[in-house]
Amino acid sequence: MTTRTAEILQGTLEMLTLKALSLEPMHGWGIGQRIEQLSGGAFEVQQGSLYPALQRMLRKGWIRSEWRTSENNRRARYYRLTRAGERQLAVETEAWERTVDVIAVILRGRLAEDAS
Amino acid sequence: MSALSDLSARLRALLFPRRHQRELEEEMRFHVEREAEERGRRGADPDAARREAALAFGGVDRFKEEARDATGVRPLQDAAGDVRHALRGLRRNPGFACGAILVLGVGIGATAASFAVVDAVVLAPLPHPHAERLVRVYPRATRDYSNLSTVDYQAIRDQQRSFDAFGGVQLATMALSGAGEPQLVFAGRATTGFFQALGVVPAVGRLIQPRDETLGAPPVAVLSHELAGELFGGARAALGRAVTLDGKSHEVVGVLPGGPAAAAGLAGWPLGVWPAIQMETPTRRGPFWIRGIARLREGVTLAEAARDLAGISERIFPLWSAGFQEREARFTPVPLRDSIVGDAGRSLGLFAAAVALVLLIAVANVATLVLVRASARAQELAVRVALGAPRARLVRMVLVEGLTLTSFAGLAGLLVAALGVRLAGTLAPYLPRQAEVGLDWRALAFVAAATLIVGVLVSLPPLFAALRPGRAAGLGAGDRRVGPGRGTHAVRTALVTAEFALALPLLLGAGLLLNSFLRLQRVDPGFEAAGVVTTSVALPEARHPDEATPAFWRRVEALVAELGGIEAFGLSTELPPSQPGNENNFDLVDRPVPAGASQPTSPWVFATNGYFAALGVPLLDGRAFRAGDTAEAPPVAIVTEAWARRFYPGESPVGRQMITGGCLECPRTTIVGVVGDVKYLGLENAGEAVYLPFAQGEPRDAHFVARGRGTAAETLAALREVVRRLDPELPVAQATLAERLAGELADPRRWTVIVGAFGATALLLASLGVFALMSYSVRQRRREIGVRIALGAGPQSVTWMIVRRGMGVAVAGLALGLLLAVLEVRLLQALLFGVGAADPLTLAAAAAGLLGAALFACWLPGRNAARVSPLEALAAE
Repeated sequence: MTTRTAEILQGTLEMLTLKALSLEPMHGWGIGQRIEQLSGGAFEVQQGSLYPALQRMLRKGWIRSEWRTSENNRRARYYRLTRAGERQLAVETEAWERTVDVIAVILRGRLAEDAS
Repeated sequence: MSALSDLSARLRALLFPRRHQRELEEEMRFHVEREAEERGRRGADPDAARREAALAFGGVDRFKEEARDATGVRPLQDAAGDVRHALRGLRRNPGFACGAILVLGVGIGATAASFAVVDAVVLAPLPHPHAERLVRVYPRATRDYSNLSTVDYQAIRDQQRSFDAFGGVQLATMALSGAGEPQLVFAGRATTGFFQALGVVPAVGRLIQPRDETLGAPPVAVLSHELAGELFGGARAALGRAVTLDGKSHEVVGVLPGGPAAAAGLAGWPLGVWPAIQMETPTRRGPFWIRGIARLREGVTLAEAARDLAGISERIFPLWSAGFQEREARFTPVPLRDSIVGDAGRSLGLFAAAVALVLLIAVANVATLVLVRASARAQELAVRVALGAPRARLVRMVLVEGLTLTSFAGLAGLLVAALGVRLAGTLAPYLPRQAEVGLDWRALAFVAAATLIVGVLVSLPPLFAALRPGRAAGLGAGDRRVGPGRGTHAVRTALVTAEFALALPLLLGAGLLLNSFLRLQRVDPGFEAAGVVTTSVALPEARHPDEATPAFWRRVEALVAELGGIEAFGLSTELPPSQPGNENNFDLVDRPVPAGASQPTSPWVFATNGYFAALGVPLLDGRAFRAGDTAEAPPVAIVTEAWARRFYPGESPVGRQMITGGCLECPRTTIVGVVGDVKYLGLENAGEAVYLPFAQGEPRDAHFVARGRGTAAETLAALREVVRRLDPELPVAQATLAERLAGELADPRRWTVIVGAFGATALLLASLGVFALMSYSVRQRRREIGVRIALGAGPQSVTWMIVRRGMGVAVAGLALGLLLAVLEVRLLQALLFGVGAADPLTLAAAAAGLLGAALFACWLPGRNAARVSPLEALAAE
């Protein structure tokens, strides 16, 4: 049960990260900030969990990393989306929307049955 | 794209693990500091901001670990760690490591060397293009008569429809003179088709052509690259030059390619010179002198070729039936490789099986040792399991340990194999295609594969023991009392049982070969070899015309008689104990063979009376040869006792007559005497032979056989001087009869030594196995033994308890080994002489040897057990 939740979360986190990076290249902390900001504060990312996700996505070739100077004049590792990452974002967005629709239908069906 | 980035990311992380780690840490540190800075900006005091930032991030180590997992190099890094772990383990136990590496290294190396030999001799195709289409043509289905006659050769050449090319070759020793010291060279007198069939391309010049085969055409020869270099300094320089073969000048028209492939020779014969054959028109079916070699036409099967040849047989054999009858005979094609390898394939199969058995025993032995170490580390494994190490991880760890150990053994094995292959050229019994044996990439691949397989095999028992349920019980302090699990013990016992089961067939094989060798050594060759020397001479026709040869031999006898110092001297055309150069068919006048049946044959020896005297062969019946038995007088023969027993059992053959060589018009040969047996067909065969007066044969080749009063060297020198005085250009070959006898025994002796060494190794390893098993058992059961002694058990009963258990294992192994032995004896029979493969005495001796060794190996730990001090054993708790 718990693993399943974790998988979904993990998948979501990667999708959200891709979305955040699609706006501009960013370092890990910035990604976390951006996701919180985009979600209007509804999502709070467990900050450390970003890094395993970033390593995974590096390996899959969705993002690239490079060391740059940050906004506060420090050395920071910046990530940016690759072509494959852009495609992946599109695929995941579409899949997510379909999933949400289907789940919405199912849940409504259930509710309807309950009502009868 | 994705696969590439995946690979590069993994590679980076794998190749630069420290840097990867450092970057991850720096990145995370930046994150936490940036978060703290942000919180500080919102008004938190710096300390609280840092704390909160760290909290928000979560466990740094956990995420570091997860991030590392995410890079996907974890299994590889762990495997590297396992290798380091295994290496540390080996360093901690240098004795175990060296022993195991040595045992396995010798096992792997010996197996690889034997593979290289089997591969080169049996498996590898002959070094000719499309060698699978090459065949040898025999005059009948059995291989007793291997050569074709001129009639056969010409009929097949002109009528066959199955071959791209058909040719013949006659192997001969020829006197090569004109260039330096006269020497004897091995020659292959060949026809055009011989080279065509083999697909030979000359390095320079040309090969034999049909016009060279015409009677009276200028004689030509093709040289091997080696001989061309030796005689003329190079292939090109040899072209057009003349070599004198048996006194006749031959023009060198071509030279064969050199290089390593040349060592294998043509059709398996690495000969120096290949003169063209010029055949006379035949007047009868025999003699049989030429070997038929052919290349099957593309798409024609062996069976089709056999039918084609059978048709030719049916057409031509009746034409010659008056002199040579053989109703069942048919020309038969046999794949050339089978014909070259012959029985060596069977011997090598036995050899390879013996080596594989030794390797298996070595593996069982080392597996037992590894298992002991694994038991000692049971606690470590139990802790790992308890801490949640996955099974796969455990399996990998044990496998990596096994493979690390065997990798070293594999390297050692390479050295052993290189040595073994080198020794195979000198120590091993004679093998066809020996020149082709070497360590090639196939042998290297074999070593690699063997290393891998042995690594897995060695790891299996500890794996089996480690993965048994209930392993975690080892965590309890009580494990010292109960020892390793029952499973471990069962595996160890099974391994030692297997060692004995494998050792029995090896020991049995060694015993049978030894038995057979000793019998062969005791065989009476029919002559006294001590002090007898031989000198062989062949008179070339060009310098010694037919009519002059009898005078030449008479002068030899006269010169030797003048020498003094020589007790007995004779001439003959054959030498015992093997190599029947000349055999002839005959038909007894009073007991003719039925129409259509083949006539009997026998070694056919032209000899002087002095030959019998020199060899110490007694005259048993009738008379010896007389001065009057000349070419003009009626032909007479003396037969051996074994011959007389076979054809005239219980009667005297003296006075009987026979038709010889299928020559109906020739005068009949009368048997005038019987002499003692001499072995001409090898020591293992009967001593049948027919002797004819030397003067009635008019031979051009002869062996001088002399029993001297001085040393062998003095006698040999004297004989050489006699030849030199008569014809300084004649090359001579010399040997003592004792050497010839030893040569005859050399191969059986080598087989015996090799398999004997394997048997001894097996005995040693199996004994070591049971010794280790029982020693370990005694150590484990110290407390129990202490209690027994405390309760009054005597030292004998304690020793007996241990010995009984160990011998139980050995006996069970022997029982299993009997099953293997049953399979083995069928393979072995062909190599044995005078002893059945199922010889019960040898089997009993082998079993007794193993049991004796096992008894000793069990008694040592049993004695130690009896010395256990009960106080000490109990106090140790």
